[in-house]
Amino acid sequence: MNIKFSAAFAIVMYLVIPFTLGDNNYLIGLVASALIIAGIAVAWALLGNLGGMVSFGHAAFFGVGAYTSAVLTMDHGVPVFVALVMGGIGASISSIFMMPALRLRGPYFALAILAYAEIFKILAVEATSITGGAGGLLSIPTLPVFMGIDFGTKLGGYIVILNIVCLTLITYHFIRKSTYGLALKAMHDSEMATRIVGVPATYLKIVMLLVSAFMTGSIGAFNAHYINFLEPDYAFSGSWTIFPIVAAIFGGYRTLSGPVLGALFIYLVDQLVFKSVMPQGHQLILGAMLAGMIILSPSGLLPILTKFFAPKKNIKKAEGQHA
Amino acid sequence: MELTAQALFTGLLMGGFYGLIAVGLALVFGTMKVINLAHGELVLLAAYIAYALESQTGLNPMLSLPIAMAVVIVAALVTFYLTNQIKKDRELNSLILTFGLGIVLTNGLLMVFSADIYSTQSSWFMEGVVIADSLFSMRSEMIAFIVGIAALGGLYWWLNHTWHGRAIRSVSSNRDAAKLMGMNPTKAELWSWGVAGVLAALAGVMLYVTSVIHPPVGHSLTIKAFVITVLAGMGSIPGVLVGAIMIGVIEGLTTTYFQSSLAELASMTVFLLVLLVMPSGLFGKKGAH
Amino acid sequence: MKVLKLSSVLACALGAAVSFAQVDTAHAEKFVIGEHTPLTGSLARVGTGSHRGVVTGIKVLNDKYKGQHTFELKTIDDESNPAKAVSAVEKLASQGVIAFSGGYASGVIGPASEAANKANLPYITFGGVATALSQRGHEGFFRINSAAGYGKAVVGLVSEMDLKSVSIAYSNKEATHKMAEYIEKKLGEKGLKVSTHEYDAHVKDFKSIVNKIKLRDRSEAIIMVGYESEYVGILRAANLLKPNVKAMIGVWSLATGKMAKEFPDLMKNVYGTAMLPFPVSFDKPKQQTFYQAYKANYEEEPSYLEQFGYVQTRLLGEAIVRAFDKGDTSLKGIATELRKTDEMTISGRVRFDEKGDNPEFVQRVGQHQGGKIPLVWPAEEKTGEKVFPGTPWN
Repeated sequence: MNIKFSAAFAIVMYLVIPFTLGDNNYLIGLVASALIIAGIAVAWALLGNLGGMVSFGHAAFFGVGAYTSAVLTMDHGVPVFVALVMGGIGASISSIFMMPALRLRGPYFALAILAYAEIFKILAVEATSITGGAGGLLSIPTLPVFMGIDFGTKLGGYIVILNIVCLTLITYHFIRKSTYGLALKAMHDSEMATRIVGVPATYLKIVMLLVSAFMTGSIGAFNAHYINFLEPDYAFSGSWTIFPIVAAIFGGYRTLSGPVLGALFIYLVDQLVFKSVMPQGHQLILGAMLAGMIILSPSGLLPILTKFFAPKKNIKKAEGQHA
Repeated sequence: MELTAQALFTGLLMGGFYGLIAVGLALVFGTMKVINLAHGELVLLAAYIAYALESQTGLNPMLSLPIAMAVVIVAALVTFYLTNQIKKDRELNSLILTFGLGIVLTNGLLMVFSADIYSTQSSWFMEGVVIADSLFSMRSEMIAFIVGIAALGGLYWWLNHTWHGRAIRSVSSNRDAAKLMGMNPTKAELWSWGVAGVLAALAGVMLYVTSVIHPPVGHSLTIKAFVITVLAGMGSIPGVLVGAIMIGVIEGLTTTYFQSSLAELASMTVFLLVLLVMPSGLFGKKGAH
Repeated sequence: MKVLKLSSVLACALGAAVSFAQVDTAHAEKFVIGEHTPLTGSLARVGTGSHRGVVTGIKVLNDKYKGQHTFELKTIDDESNPAKAVSAVEKLASQGVIAFSGGYASGVIGPASEAANKANLPYITFGGVATALSQRGHEGFFRINSAAGYGKAVVGLVSEMDLKSVSIAYSNKEATHKMAEYIEKKLGEKGLKVSTHEYDAHVKDFKSIVNKIKLRDRSEAIIMVGYESEYVGILRAANLLKPNVKAMIGVWSLATGKMAKEFPDLMKNVYGTAMLPFPVSFDKPKQQTFYQAYKANYEEEPSYLEQFGYVQTRLLGEAIVRAFDKGDTSLKGIATELRKTDEMTISGRVRFDEKGDNPEFVQRVGQHQGGKIPLVWPAEEKTGEKVFPGTPWN
């Protein structure tokens, strides 16, 4: 992702969208929902790309973050914006329990994390005194008025989630640029080689897991205050894992912008185009599109866009930027 | 005591059935390293075919097997064909592909059959089988268990004693070596998908006679099958059986001694513990990725 | 250059989005009612039933006000998802609907009705029974049923049976969990011994639960609080293990014609809450109106879902017309008129208290008897005598 692209992205997201759609709750809400998926997708891609770990259980972090924040604001009067950070911290703490799974590989790791997500969900159901159990929590406080701006509105919520997503992107960018990132990439290529050179692979993986969990947890926390409702089935729903994965791979998970573009594209096209073409069962078109797309362009959406719009000689260069 | 005996018995029966559901996924996973996220939907597709035939023509669900198999094999081979089109990053990209196909199938079934619940009309399947006056099961559950064990046994034999089976095994243990030995890995993979289709069809018809079907069931079957496959260790058939029975028994015992809503917690915890002690699953080869 | 092109793609996509969303606005004498309902996803079954009722309500309203007013329904599938329900409400609000009828599950209705409230539009439903929903001080939130109504019916039936002990098997979902708690508390107060068995949606085998009830609880009746597929599982397990109980009682979605038709043997003597007997004779004029309008569109017999969806929509429509006649179809105007509602509907008496709840709501109980479901509780609504003791296996 180059500077120009980042700038264009920022202008569109921070200026064009708020000023054109700002008073249309429906559309701004859709973009915000897409950004929620986008944020998790970035966190997932960070773990997959830098940590070399494919997780099937990001819903665990999402749910833990959501419940941490909701309970802190409702029962302990913690301000919502502080609680968003606490949600992230809560999710990071929960990821400590997953550390033993770091020695697993590939699908074994993926499924172990899924098992954790499932376990956390059941614990949320059973810990009725804290979480309200299966009955869930209604009337979770909305995002507050801060410095004269009401973040409880649709537009306010949009700005908050946009900031969260941008912060995750910036964090991801700097980790990737840092020596950590280089070590991680080396590790991704050959763990053995990294060990020989003296980079502690496990330590790096732990850090990536904590960071990815933090990001996802704070997004879960945001969603709790945005939707104002939580129940275990919803907070730990597998769709918080699967859609971000699909979005990340679809957009191109090796790139920084891929997960975000993938999420925006899938969510908005599904809800705006497919749903109006086929009000019931538009998921059918979505599924077919995902399947077809991955066959036609296995590196995701970005190469297609670049191929389509960039002069031919630039293709090679564009692909070189990945990873 | 009676409670425990019944819980163990139920767990055993469920285990046989779970094994049947999981083994198709495990086979494909073993040969092609592809996780077929639409596997549960293929099982469900067979169940709906049994339903359609029974409700339209009164056909006994067991007799709908050939048709269910034909359809599901075709569906499985189409999935294979599409998966095979992915040349890059196949392990990951096939997730999107099969997830997408799963969505298509689930929503297709929803549109054709609505969200209503169905199960076999024939009460013959629901008649009780009582062993030693204290172990209860429905006829259909016994049948599903026997079919499950037979299918797993048959598959095990086929993989070890037939040419195609051995080809699959050699491709799954070392694709490049198999290629050098003059085998066509694609052909072996094709076979494994076809056989997975047969197994999914069997599982689907058993699902229809023992349980209740509605569109969301497919997805939860996929997860269960996946858990068992990983627990078993990459593509190991005995592992699938042991893992499936383990899960079944743990669920039965948890329900009996604690409560049903904790059964999933117990089976997931055991699953994790097994993985942490044996990182390649129960029957996985050490160091295998 | 690439950058510019990429951003212009984004802009185009969003431009397309805007034009998709901008559809015509309402005319003065045409009332557009919005509905979000789960037509796909985990709640598709109930959402479809509810939707049919709403459609029938609109049809009856159009027949009634022919020549004066027309009603139009705009429906969006909320995919059983809270965020998508909120989007649906916002989209419909931007399309000029003047009220909402629909929704299922408290967790979806909560956020969706919140969005309706923010858009200053009234919202009527029967799909969510969480107490908290009506405690939020929304002037325009109404519901025609309540958890207490279902609970009272089950407790009333059990009290009449004069039992000493019951076992409750319930799903650990929001509504079922709360309902089980309510029944446990009320029956406990009446001196019954109550055992509870919680299960979750993953359960594939109910034999272990029923066996516990049979051998350990030794209860005299089993109360099931769950969903259709689970009822079938529990009843099959009970049919097999034959616990020594006098009655099998379910709450929602059990005393329906569909269950009678799909699982005739399994349903024998099983109780469930119902508004009307099955097959309904629909002989009273009000019932006739509903039934004929319903049958004009659908083949299957209507269940309580269709009836509730119909009633809430019709009441809403009539309140809208009254509000229109008084020149105020704002949230306040419609809410004021809805609050004046006091009517015997096909789902019993409906009036609303200041919170928008219907304090008159009481469910009745039906029992599957040879393919039919007569009402057997309360005494004044009976259309048949209950078979007691009676279970599918004896």
